[in-house]
Amino acid sequence: MSKFYILVMLGVFIDYSLYSQTCCSGGIPLSNSIGLPSANKGTLQFGISYDYNNLNTLQSGNDVLDDDARLRTTQSFLFNTGYTITNNLSVELLLTYVNQTRKITQFGNVNIDETNGVGDGVLLLKYNFNQLFDKNNTLRVGLGAKIPIGATDKKSKQGILLNADLQPGSGAWDIIFWSSYLQNFSFRPSASFSVTTIYRHTGTNNKYLNNLTTYRFGPEFQAFINYTDQFFLFKTLINPSLSFKYRKAKQDEIGGSLLDNTGGEWLMLIPGIDIRITTKLNFQTKFEIPVYSYVDGTQLTPTYRITTGLFYTIDKQKNDFLNLK
Amino acid sequence: MKNIFILLIFSTLLIYSCSESSSSISDNVDNAITDDNDDNNNTNSWLIDKDLVFDGGPGKDGIPALDNPTLITQAENDYLSDEDLVIGLKFGDQVVAFPHKILDWHEIINTDIDNLSLAIIYCPLTGTAVGWDRNFNNTKTTFGVSGLLYKNNIIPYDRATDSNWSQLKLQCVNGKLIGENPIIIVLPEMKWGLWRKLYKQTKLVSTKTGHQRNYNNYPYGDYKTDNQYFIFPIDPLKNNISAKERVHAIIYNNQAKIYRFNDFGNGKIITDTFQNKEYIIIGNQDFIVSFEINDKTSNLEFTYNFKDTEIILSDNEGNNWNLFGEAISGPRKGTFLETAKTSMMGYYFSMESFYPNLLIYN
Repeated sequence: MSKFYILVMLGVFIDYSLYSQTCCSGGIPLSNSIGLPSANKGTLQFGISYDYNNLNTLQSGNDVLDDDARLRTTQSFLFNTGYTITNNLSVELLLTYVNQTRKITQFGNVNIDETNGVGDGVLLLKYNFNQLFDKNNTLRVGLGAKIPIGATDKKSKQGILLNADLQPGSGAWDIIFWSSYLQNFSFRPSASFSVTTIYRHTGTNNKYLNNLTTYRFGPEFQAFINYTDQFFLFKTLINPSLSFKYRKAKQDEIGGSLLDNTGGEWLMLIPGIDIRITTKLNFQTKFEIPVYSYVDGTQLTPTYRITTGLFYTIDKQKNDFLNLK
Repeated sequence: MKNIFILLIFSTLLIYSCSESSSSISDNVDNAITDDNDDNNNTNSWLIDKDLVFDGGPGKDGIPALDNPTLITQAENDYLSDEDLVIGLKFGDQVVAFPHKILDWHEIINTDIDNLSLAIIYCPLTGTAVGWDRNFNNTKTTFGVSGLLYKNNIIPYDRATDSNWSQLKLQCVNGKLIGENPIIIVLPEMKWGLWRKLYKQTKLVSTKTGHQRNYNNYPYGDYKTDNQYFIFPIDPLKNNISAKERVHAIIYNNQAKIYRFNDFGNGKIITDTFQNKEYIIIGNQDFIVSFEINDKTSNLEFTYNFKDTEIILSDNEGNNWNLFGEAISGPRKGTFLETAKTSMMGYYFSMESFYPNLLIYN
């Protein structure tokens, strides 16, 4: 029965990927940042991260244009917390604080608009299918919601309402479908391979532009393929990792019409490292660069992204040091 | 020790991020969006409803205006097809086409032709184009794209004072020059195929603008033809006219009257009165232009005389007139009809949005 359920869930993800789509608010890493590692019953996890997303590449379809006049950056402070209710069931909450900046350097002038504020949050319920096919693999599935607690009415210093892309929040509830499959290897127990998929079915902000119209960020699908291993360096456990991220985002909608110059697909390479500082405290950092991208129309597209953070675990039971991630 | 080191790295990154986020200053104060409370500059006063002024997304100068772009000859044209629309200018012997394909990406072209300092102000969302003299109060300026929109219509800013203007209100609506009206230079619009036939000597704006864009791609998808698609909301239209139908509007005294292509059949002159002024409106399926009849021209009897040459009108004195109201032959050669003070082509919805008591020629 459980395997049937799993196949159904995987089928849902495959189906949704055909329709999948856009990023929220210029790159607030909501989907990227959920999925705290599995833990024993009663474990409490906390994380605080900083994410810097730099969009300085102007692209038309596949073509990179020779124009770096526009810079969009999104800086996010991410606060994760998770609690493992049973050995199979856990819950996770992600809260954000966001700075969005748009900088235009043109004709010898620099014009900057920016917003700061609490961004949207995510609540995710996850279920583990441990040792799904044998003792070396685990499947986790999750269902969650993006909660629109971020502001959507930020104005420029001139007092003009800024557009959706620069707002800390989206003003809409999203449904999040999450899954992650982890495979360990008998021949190398320290290594693991994982595939994670996230589909965000976006909702609509019905109060956009002073309640005059609606806005919907395009639905988004992301898939991560990750390989990680472990080794000791100066008596410290180090987990280097290499991931590929595929992201596809549908066009945004305004007033029910598809908005041009939004949406596209991207393939990113993400090298990362996780350092086990103590049995309870981890330091993580990763760097994301585009390998391939196709955008609808002409858009600024990500140039690079850096994420770094600390994660603290309070485990009632004894930790298994290897392959917690 | 090791833990402290890593925490130190993390803290440094956090501090760096905070310092980045607080750097909301402009390197050029004159052109920055500032929260200036100096009433003399009227930076906080608007002549239009500020709540209906929206940020378009690209930001100030995010859509780069062109300053005196390179012009090429017809023979060098490698991107315009005959069906593409252009805005035409004839000044003395100089004839220039400003293609929508360029304007869709730049919206404003500041150009100097002989002693004429002109800004072509074009809004892709309202489909409107008009020329503005760039001299104000003995100061020559250039215009840039503010990144703001009012009722879907471009708000240009002048670089001399950083004042914001409304193209379709024909007025400075915010800033030091608030309340000023631009001197309008009416420019006809037609397809490139016809324009180049009428003016074989025409030049046109090159795609080598100094900004790399894909000029063969229209940046707004099916916006031109989808009558339900608006980037910013509009009030429901009162009249049964397609929102994106291109119409010719005469705007005067905060009122507007429109003329539709189907009013002209295969070509004719309409004589009409609007705001106590008499106009002749000349059109066919390819262009519509309008002129005001004044004391000097009230005795002329015009006939439509367009035969795919520069001449569009003839009169009982034997004069032949072109699109710009210039007598190109006959006893009045070299004189001009009075152009309707402000007339322009544009999407129907934009005229109704800006001029709710819009009159429609029937």
